[in-house]
This record gives sequence, C-alpha cells and structure tokens, in this order.
Amino acid sequence: MTEPALVVRGLEAGYGKIQVLWGVDLEVAAGSFLAVIGANGAGKTTLLRALTGLIPVRRGEVHALGRPLRGLSAAQIVRGRVGHVPEGRQLFPLMTVRENLDAGADYLPAARPRAERNRALVYELFPRLREREGQIAGTLSGGERQMVAIGRALMSDPKLLLVDEPSLGLSPALASDVFTALGQIASEGVTVVLVEQNVQRSLQLADQAVVLEHGAVRQRGTGAELLADPAVRAAYLSL
Amino acid sequence: MKRRTVPWDLVLVALVAVAAWFVPEAMKALFGRASISYLSLVINALSLAVLALSWDMLARTGQLSLAHAAFYGLGAYTTALLLKHLAWPIWIGIPLGGVVAVGFAVLLGSLTLRLRAIYFAIATLAFAEVLKSLVHNLPTEFAGGNAGMNVAPLFRPQFVAGQMERWEVAFLRNEAYFYVYAGLLVATVLASIVLQRSRLRHAFIAIRTNEDVAGVMGVRPARVKLLAFAVSSLFVGMLGAVEAHRVGSVLPDQSFAVATTVLALVTPIFGGLYTTLGPIVGAIGLSSVQELLKRSLSEGYLIGYGLVLVLSILFMPRGVVGVIGRALRRRRTNAQRRAIAMAGGGAPDEGASEPGAPPEPPARPGGTA
Amino acid sequence: MTPLLRAIGLTKRFGGLAAVEDVSFDVAPGEIFAIIGPNGAGKTTVLNLLSGLLAPTSGRLELDGHDLTTRSTAERCHAGLGRAFQVVQPFPEMTVRDNVLVGALFGHPGVPRAEAERRADEALERTGLTALADVDAEELTLMQEKRLEIARALATQPRVLLLDEVMAGLRPAEARDAVQLVKGVRDGGVTVVFIEHVMPVVRDLADRVLVMDHGQVLTEGPYAEVVQDPRVIEAYLGKEGA
Repeated sequence: MTEPALVVRGLEAGYGKIQVLWGVDLEVAAGSFLAVIGANGAGKTTLLRALTGLIPVRRGEVHALGRPLRGLSAAQIVRGRVGHVPEGRQLFPLMTVRENLDAGADYLPAARPRAERNRALVYELFPRLREREGQIAGTLSGGERQMVAIGRALMSDPKLLLVDEPSLGLSPALASDVFTALGQIASEGVTVVLVEQNVQRSLQLADQAVVLEHGAVRQRGTGAELLADPAVRAAYLSL
Repeated sequence: MKRRTVPWDLVLVALVAVAAWFVPEAMKALFGRASISYLSLVINALSLAVLALSWDMLARTGQLSLAHAAFYGLGAYTTALLLKHLAWPIWIGIPLGGVVAVGFAVLLGSLTLRLRAIYFAIATLAFAEVLKSLVHNLPTEFAGGNAGMNVAPLFRPQFVAGQMERWEVAFLRNEAYFYVYAGLLVATVLASIVLQRSRLRHAFIAIRTNEDVAGVMGVRPARVKLLAFAVSSLFVGMLGAVEAHRVGSVLPDQSFAVATTVLALVTPIFGGLYTTLGPIVGAIGLSSVQELLKRSLSEGYLIGYGLVLVLSILFMPRGVVGVIGRALRRRRTNAQRRAIAMAGGGAPDEGASEPGAPPEPPARPGGTA
Repeated sequence: MTPLLRAIGLTKRFGGLAAVEDVSFDVAPGEIFAIIGPNGAGKTTVLNLLSGLLAPTSGRLELDGHDLTTRSTAERCHAGLGRAFQVVQPFPEMTVRDNVLVGALFGHPGVPRAEAERRADEALERTGLTALADVDAEELTLMQEKRLEIARALATQPRVLLLDEVMAGLRPAEARDAVQLVKGVRDGGVTVVFIEHVMPVVRDLADRVLVMDHGQVLTEGPYAEVVQDPRVIEAYLGKEGA
C-alpha cells in the first residue's frame, strides 16, 4: 500500500482562549476522497485552517504527502503541493477571472511552468470560466466564484486539495455542479479532503468520511455507511 | 485614575502649580544671566506639553488627527489678524484663537469623525494642507500672503537704568511668558483630568476598543468624538495664538508646519498615550533629549533624535508611563489571578499551561449517547 | 399578548446579493426566541439588523410599537435593545466593573453616577462576577468573558437581550452553566433573542425557534416541531440525491 496522503494524529488547535479541536486523528489514502461532516461549530473549518497553517497546531502531528507540516507557514505548506479552497471563496474581487486563476500559480516556482496546462484543465472542468476569463471576479455569481476559488487552488498543482464548504450559499443546482467537479478532480488522482454541511451530497461522493463533533472524530466509515446511519442525522439536529 | 476619597491628581496639580510660581526667581538666583536661556528651554517644554496633551485628548477616542498643525495655525492667524485689522485688546486674540479652532474642528469633525480611524487621519491631513495653501493665497493686504504678518509681543518690559541690569529685561520677558505657558498647561491638564474623571473616560476607552460594541452599549460615538475633538482643538488653538505673540510673526509655512503635527503625536507616544501624565512626561523627556543631543552632536543631532524615537517606540510601546505602570501592575496581577481561580466559572483554557489538569474531554450531547 | 419585538419583512442586500430576504417574526414579552440555520443562512445579519449595526435595505423593526428602523445603534440601546457579541470583546484596559459600568452609564441617557454604579453591581451579581469586579478584563477566562459580555448588556437594562452564539467555544459543562444564566436573565424579566448553532442548547433554552436558510425564513415553531420538518432536515443535511 502506498503512503497515505494525509496523516493527522492528536491534533489540537483553536483561537485565543477558545480551543476548538481536542485531538483529531485522520488518515487519508493517496488518491482517495475524504468528507468531513459535522454540525456548525463542530470544528470542521478549524481543522482545515490548522492543516493549511492559517492557525497554529497546538498539539499533535500533521503529515501531508510524507512531510511534517507542524510549524510551517501557509506559504510553505502550499509549496508542498497542498491546495486550499477557503470558505467563502475569498477571491481578489478587482482582478479578472484569469488573473485570479494565475495568482494561484504565480508565486509558486514549481507550479508556474505548469500553469498553461493547469489552466486548460480548469477550463475543461469549468467551461463557464473560459467564457468569463476577462470578467472582474467581484461581478461573478456565487457559483462562478466558487469555481474560480477551486480553479485557483488547482493552479497550484496540488496533490492534496482541501476544500471548505464549497456549497455555502449556492443554489442546489450550482452546488451540484461544484460537487460533480470535485468528484472529477478526485478521479484524476488528486487526494481531496472536503468539509461540507451538505451531508447527503458529500457522503455520496466520498470514499471515506468522518463525523466531527465538539472538535473530535465521533464516527468514521465509508460514505455509504455513514449515509445510512441514523446517528448522523441525530448529531445534526440533536433529536 | 481611580476615584478615591482624596483627589490626588488635583492635589498634585495644585502643588506643582504653586511650585512653578517660584521657578523663575529660583532660576535667576541659581544661574543669573544664564537663566534667560534656561527659561526659554522650559517654555519650549511647556509648549510641547500643551501641544501633546491636547492631541492626546482626541487620541483617547482612537482617532488619529493629522490636523493639529492646522488648529495651531488657526489660533496664530486669528490673533494676528485681529491685531492687524481691529484695535481690540491684545489678549483677546488668545481665547478667540481657541474658539476659531474649535469652530473649524466641529465643522471638520462632523464631516469626518464618522469615518474609521485611517480615513479620518487622511481627511485631517488633507484639511491641514488645504488650509495652509488657502492661507498662502489669502490677499496680501488681508493676511500677508507668503510673507506672513508681524505679531506684537504680549509683554514689553522696560529697562530702568540704575534699578536693573540690561539682561534683566530679557529675563522679565521670559518670566512673563513662562507664567502664560504654565497657566495654559495647567488649564489643559485640568481639562484632561476632568475628562478622565468623568464618565467620558469610559466612553473614550469603549470607542477606542470597538465602536460597534460601544454603540450597542448606548455610547454615541460620533458625539463623544466630536466633543473630544473640540476640547483638543481649543487648547492647541490658544497655544498657537500665544506662540504667535512670543515668536513675533505668523507665516503660512511656519504656523501650519507639518512638523507641529508630528511633534503633537510623537510626544504622547514617547511619554504614554491616553493619560494626562504621559504627554507631559514625553514633552519633558523629548525636549531634554533634544537639547542634550544638540549640545553634544550639534549638526547631526536630528539623526540622534530620530534614533531615540525609533528605539523608544520599539521598546516602550506604551511609552515611559507605560513602563512604570507595568512594574506597578505586576504585583496586582498575581492577586487577580488568585481571585479568578477562586471565583471559578471556567477553568483556564490553555491546556498546555496547566500540565496537572487534563482538559475535559468533549462530551457527547444528550439524547444520542 | 401583543408582541414586544416585531421584525416586518427585513431585507438586506449587499450589492445584488440578498443576505437576508423578507424575514418577519414576532417575539412576545418574556419569551426566549432562537434563530437557527446552517452556516451562511443569514442569522448574524438578522441580529445586526436588529441591533442597528446594519441598516436594512427594506423592512421595519418595532419595539413595543415604536419604530426603530432608522435609529442608530446607541438609540436602539436607549430604547431597550441590549446585545452581546459572539466574539467576546471586553475593554481590556478596564476592570470588570468598569466594563459593566460603561453599559450602566450610557445605556440610558442621564443616569446619575450612583444609580449607574448600582446597576453595574446588580448586573455583576446576576452574572456571578461580583468576586471578579476589580480584576482587569483581559485576565478573564473564556467563560468569565462570556459572563462579562452578558453583564455589560444587562447593565444597559434592556427589555430585549440579543445574544450572538454565546455558547461558541464553551465546553459542554460550561454551556450548561450558560444555559442556566440565560434562563435566569429571562426569569428576571428580560426577553431573549439568540442565535446559536449548538443544537442541544437551542433545545434546552428556546421557547420558540425560527429556522433560516439562504437568508429566508424556512419555518417557525417549538424546537421539537421544527426539527421534524422535512425542509429543516434538508437544510441541515442536504437534499436526498440532489
């Protein structure tokens, strides 16, 4: 068996006085698709922020693509071919679609030579972005912005892609397009970690899934297993 | 400043004011003729203290004004114009200088104080520059244009042969100005203390920390900031007027110099922001440093001065007063920690700092466990 | 009973995007009213519209029959709308008592100093902070900060207290304390409107729940009812096979 793309052991992290993660363990096989689900406030976004170096890891180990990440800055982590699609898209609103995409590669010496090829892949994945190449990102619709955010992360030529709540604020039809694209990205060999509140759809896509609750993994299994589990519903609505 | 039974801050001001009464004569007795230049140095320090303390009164609301030179200049030009065009008593220009500065501050403030700090700062800088070029371009016969105007001195001590020596005329002049500046500083200090003892102190801190939070707690940020801006400009306007008389002239580039604004904000930063004492300590410290460097380095003293400022901002982020305050507080904090531990209501959160206490495991929610 | 707080068709658009659209609800005096919904549903925007940090694009807000729609944050506070924030923001240079005193001094115009101090001490008492009154606010633990946040709002003597996810970051045992605290506030005669994503807290606390999704009201009713609503389940779990 090949080395896992992501190994997390006993991860603890938080903001200031607030500790959010209380010892998270994960192992994601290379090329597989992991869904992280959980109620609001369970720590999903915090987990991704800790993995991408946006907040410090207080305790525990994180290895991505065989490399320890703890103590590395966000810039160092992305150079290690770990891409991040942040929650709420966070585009450069005054740049065009094309400029936003290129910004994903421009500051990464390793990704720059492959920018042409990767841009073509992004346009293949999201044909709509090719049509809007010259449009200012601030004027895009929510769904298009999400496509740009995912595209920008792909421009960094990642082997591991961390995606935070891509369906947030999208209509069901647009969310569906985005999920389809994520499935395609995974099928091309990129390991995907997806944090989502749309439980149905993300569990359908995922090879493996975990349920986070109060900052720790409550349940794990294949996507199909968790989808069938009544406790998952209960965890969300506290019935 | 804590409310106590004895108003120590006011007692201290009274004591210092009484002591100041004797300063000129004491200096004359000690240094003789040299007391003239020493008195000038003291006057410069007093002037800097008024400038810095008045600036700090607005800074307490979190607003960084870059227009202090403009209000200083408005005061100076008010008294100069009154002297030139109207035969009013010479002293009236000083309070009126303050009033004119307040008028402009209220006008500028009601337009710009709703802006967040950085935009407010830029707007005030723009105001100061526009005002300066406006004064440049006023008709020469009205305000002197680029050449400015002469301003009569407040005091003209007469030499009386046989009763005094020649140099004593200059001493008498400086002595009189000393009392004016000391009086102005005392007035500024009293205003500052009144603000700090009133409920406005709470409003200042609330607005400075977070305007939204202040608002939902009932504080009206726009109103409070405008008031602070008005008080701040009142004293710097009067200072500008007094200085015009002492210097003997007003010029656009001198009365509206950006350097005035820079000194107004650097001094409280050096001494300690948001306090009455800090700007005064800063004024004394910075004028002493400047004088010492001038004497030891002559030409390049400005480089040394800049270095002192940079180092002090790096190593004393809360100023001289902050360094002293922190030493005093350290003792208090340990007592506070005990109170917090006794009071309970949530253990310290950083698990790492409490090796003995394992963090509570995340519990399962009721119903599904 | 006539409602104390009425939101009528509140709408907030940022550019073309409607963050909140046509949200209406009534809150009765003495009620604990929860607003819930998935991330991005517009809950915090609604709370900001209530407390005046945002101006609505259209719609109306009434407190006890008085129109507050165009009132400033401070004026709404004077009218009786108190607000505690999710990210606790004590004034760090002040003691705990002085923090609370700000609310007491400015919550209603013209409160005499002595009366303000009495109100501050009362708010400290109700939130269990009396022993910490002279501690600098920056020294507090998270739970104590949350108490302070509520104490400051209580010191303004609100008729309606708006709470923004006060349970965020609390451990379960602390959250239980906080639930008791909020219940105590209501028993003291203050109507409570809160947004929250810790569902057990909503279940234990709320008399009535408003569920939002995509900036709109999905449904409204007692907790046990709304969580059975298929639309709510879909909002939280995603559509079957979508």
